[in-house]
Amino acid sequence: MFLKVENLEKSYKTGDSSVKVLKGISFEVEKGKICVLLGASGSGKSTLLNIIGGIDTADAGTIIIDGDKLEKMNEKATSLYRRNHLGYIFQAYNLIPNLTVKENIEVGAYLSKSPLDIDDLIKTLGLWEHKDKMPNQLSGGQQQRTAIGRAVVKNPDLLLCDEPTGALDYNTSKEILALLEEVNEKYQCTIIMVTHNDALKQMADKVIKLRDGQIRKEYVNEVRTKSQDLDW
Amino acid sequence: MNQKQKNRIKNPLHKRIARELKQELGKNIAIFIFIAATIGFISGFYVADNSMRAAYDGSFEKYNIEDGNFELDKEISDEVKEKIEEYANIYENFYVEKEIDDQRKVRIFTDRKEVNRVCVIDGKLPDEKNQIALDRLFSQKSNLKIGDMVTLGGTDYKITGMIALPDYSALFSDNNDLMFDATHFGVGIVSEDQFETYKSGKVFYSYSWKIHAEDGRKKSNDLTDEQKEKINEEIKNTLIEENAGIVNFVAEPDNQAIHFTGNDMGSDKSMVTVLLYVIIVILAFIFAITTISTIDKESAVIGTLRASGYTKGEMLRHYMVLPIMVTLIASIVGNILGYTVFKFMVVDMYYNSYSLTTYETLWNADAFIMTTIIPAIVMIIVNLLVLNSRLKLSPLKFLRHDLKKNKNSKALKLPPFSFMMRFKLRIIIQNMPNYIMLFVGILFAGILALFGLMMIPLLNHNGDEIINNMKGNYQYILKMPVEIDNENAEKCIMGSLVNDMKGTRKDEITVYGIEKKSKYFSDIKLMDDAKSVVVSEAVLEKYKLKVGDKIKVKSEFTDTGYEFVIGDSYYYPQGLAIFMNSDRYREVFELDKDFFNAYLSDEKLDEIDEHLILTKITRTDMLKVTSQLNDSFGGMMPMLAGFAVLMSVLIIYLLSKVVIEKNTGAISMVKILGYSDREVSRLYVTATGIAAFLSAVISIPISYYVMKELYYMFMVEFSGWVSYYVKPIVFVQVFALTVVSYVIVAAFLYQKIRKIPMNQALKNVEL
Repeated sequence: MFLKVENLEKSYKTGDSSVKVLKGISFEVEKGKICVLLGASGSGKSTLLNIIGGIDTADAGTIIIDGDKLEKMNEKATSLYRRNHLGYIFQAYNLIPNLTVKENIEVGAYLSKSPLDIDDLIKTLGLWEHKDKMPNQLSGGQQQRTAIGRAVVKNPDLLLCDEPTGALDYNTSKEILALLEEVNEKYQCTIIMVTHNDALKQMADKVIKLRDGQIRKEYVNEVRTKSQDLDW
Repeated sequence: MNQKQKNRIKNPLHKRIARELKQELGKNIAIFIFIAATIGFISGFYVADNSMRAAYDGSFEKYNIEDGNFELDKEISDEVKEKIEEYANIYENFYVEKEIDDQRKVRIFTDRKEVNRVCVIDGKLPDEKNQIALDRLFSQKSNLKIGDMVTLGGTDYKITGMIALPDYSALFSDNNDLMFDATHFGVGIVSEDQFETYKSGKVFYSYSWKIHAEDGRKKSNDLTDEQKEKINEEIKNTLIEENAGIVNFVAEPDNQAIHFTGNDMGSDKSMVTVLLYVIIVILAFIFAITTISTIDKESAVIGTLRASGYTKGEMLRHYMVLPIMVTLIASIVGNILGYTVFKFMVVDMYYNSYSLTTYETLWNADAFIMTTIIPAIVMIIVNLLVLNSRLKLSPLKFLRHDLKKNKNSKALKLPPFSFMMRFKLRIIIQNMPNYIMLFVGILFAGILALFGLMMIPLLNHNGDEIINNMKGNYQYILKMPVEIDNENAEKCIMGSLVNDMKGTRKDEITVYGIEKKSKYFSDIKLMDDAKSVVVSEAVLEKYKLKVGDKIKVKSEFTDTGYEFVIGDSYYYPQGLAIFMNSDRYREVFELDKDFFNAYLSDEKLDEIDEHLILTKITRTDMLKVTSQLNDSFGGMMPMLAGFAVLMSVLIIYLLSKVVIEKNTGAISMVKILGYSDREVSRLYVTATGIAAFLSAVISIPISYYVMKELYYMFMVEFSGWVSYYVKPIVFVQVFALTVVSYVIVAAFLYQKIRKIPMNQALKNVEL
């Protein structure tokens, strides 16, 4: 099993009180699969993604990625783990405003020992004619493509997407989802995608529904629906 | 991508540097110019100081500077000479003094071939009668040049050359003067034939000695300071024991005319070094604060990069590149300017103050380290500390724009001011770290400005006070008591002792024996008891004493010590003085009961034979300290004030720019709500105005006290004392300086606020 999460717990302190946002989460994802984490706001899905991504820590429980236990890593090792294995995509594209599209993708490539071919990737992303533009010259969809390029160019084992289409319109969202599918197929990276859009469950290999910090439903789709065929 | 391709990828973040430099061009150019100009001046200063210092140090050997000199009231007897020559060779260094006019006099020697040899800067030494070679600096201040005729003591002389005497690099006419005076006192060389003509008149029998190398003794240059001091003491004791008629005795280490220049060079160097590092620390903090503002703006990007695997160290290095690069380039440019432009300014400054011999420029590795390497290290340390405290936050906090360390701090409750006032106060509270830095910057600029603006009024005030409190327009110090019949003349006794308190400079203190019911000291309350004396306020200030304390003094020549209780203080701006009544004076110093040696008078006392006068002190003499200090500082002080204005403008501009940039979203939002550009500017620019105003108000008393301490440290190194005084108008000027700086900046800020588009708020939400 590529990713194994066991009894994950997490609380946040707000003033004098404490809120438990993850209450003993356990699940597994196979290598090269797409897993969608569904849930309403406050269900704990982003917290779960951040803990898997090593940018937040759990109070209890275990995460094993490709045989490595995350909780045993110190800050430096966690940083190295993110550098070597992870790609991150956020709802806000968070591009560096004074670097071009190509340079923003190079920011990801620089971190990797075996990066993908940048020009080839830019073509795959459909950004070839925009590669020398600055982020403020791009549409939202183009900016998110660039952000995907920056995450994917590292050739990561695991791609973590936090509401990647949350800020995009219907058509652009579908384009981005198609791109993620293509990346998944072409580069065989495992994708974990957090969304509150229920329709996206059909494009996943595995679906986990969260509510109040607990898994309410977990199932595997025998057949994935192509993102182009989704509707919401 | 293959390994070869991968190797070609350099850190893409580096590509941002040039673009960030361009995006923040105004800020970077301003800091660049400021650092380059500061370092340029200071590097120029180090190079000039080092080169001139080398020339000055070398002059001891090159011109064979004496080991000391003494002056007798007659020519030295063969017997005394023989005794002294056991220790040292004696050289005649007789001189006469001739006046150009009432205010200017020249001390004239004949050529010195063995000790204190003459440095001819231009022209030649005189070889005929009625010719003279004059000190370069004195000539410059008197507008005299080679070929001109000058009248000295009624005789005309043709100037044949410009010279510097190594034993008069600072033109002190008397070793006990507070300050040298190149405007009213100069030195010159005449031919031997010319000097012979003086011998029928008043000649000062001055002798230089040089510890000799005979009988297997070492050369004087090889002796330790202690060995030399011992020999100098032997010479002094011989003169005293033999009753040689000693008028003056100055060992070379105590000779201000020789050593003041060297000491001043040393103290100037440490002063500019401190100035440089304080400025660099302030600029480093400003850089760090502006970079923190950029980090806050790019918070989400940093969070993403950190989440993707960029380390804290990589981010830290990235954000430190620009300040270090700007500092290094500015330092290098500053150094080039220092060697090519500023060096000459500093050399001119020295040549305008001192009578220095010729110099050669020496390239100075220390200057490079102190003005390039150390500023870069200071910049690195300050930025490292400040940026590290921000970048050590977790990636998640950056992603959530959650960068406040103290999240739980409650909103400060404000008094029921108007809404606009409360809004402005909220802006100030929100940007407190920036405004604290603004305060530090304004305080520092205020101290610089205070120094730049206070010195000339202080010196003028001191001059006025000296004149207003002068005890008679003329003070005659006599070689022996001379009775005259003049109602204006009042007898008194004047002597001098040196301060003998541990840890303080050995200053000369004038001791006055004053007649009872003195006309000139009518307001002094002299003590009748045996041990109490009155001291001038300068004594209390300089040695940090108070009434009731004891003061220890001793005779300079015999080392006899005296201890007095300070019974009262007296306002006497002339300097360090002890007052007692004449009877007490005679008793303490075991003098005849009718002894006196001075007259105070409002009129010139022509009835006293010139040969019997040791010294005549006039108003001009009293004012020469003020005049020379004015001369030395006059040019530099406005420059310092100008520098302070520039610094204020820069600091206020950079820090308020950060405040505006930090609030771009909020500014855009209040514009959307319907506030006009003018109203928005009033909110944000006035907030900075309030902070600048408060900083200026608070910094004025602090500057006053800081400057008081600095002034004490500066003055305590001088012989004598000039009290600290800040003319009230100077406070207004320092305050106005901040206000003017703010008004200049406010105009820029208004334009900046006007240009913030309304959709900025919406863009930020999208992020």
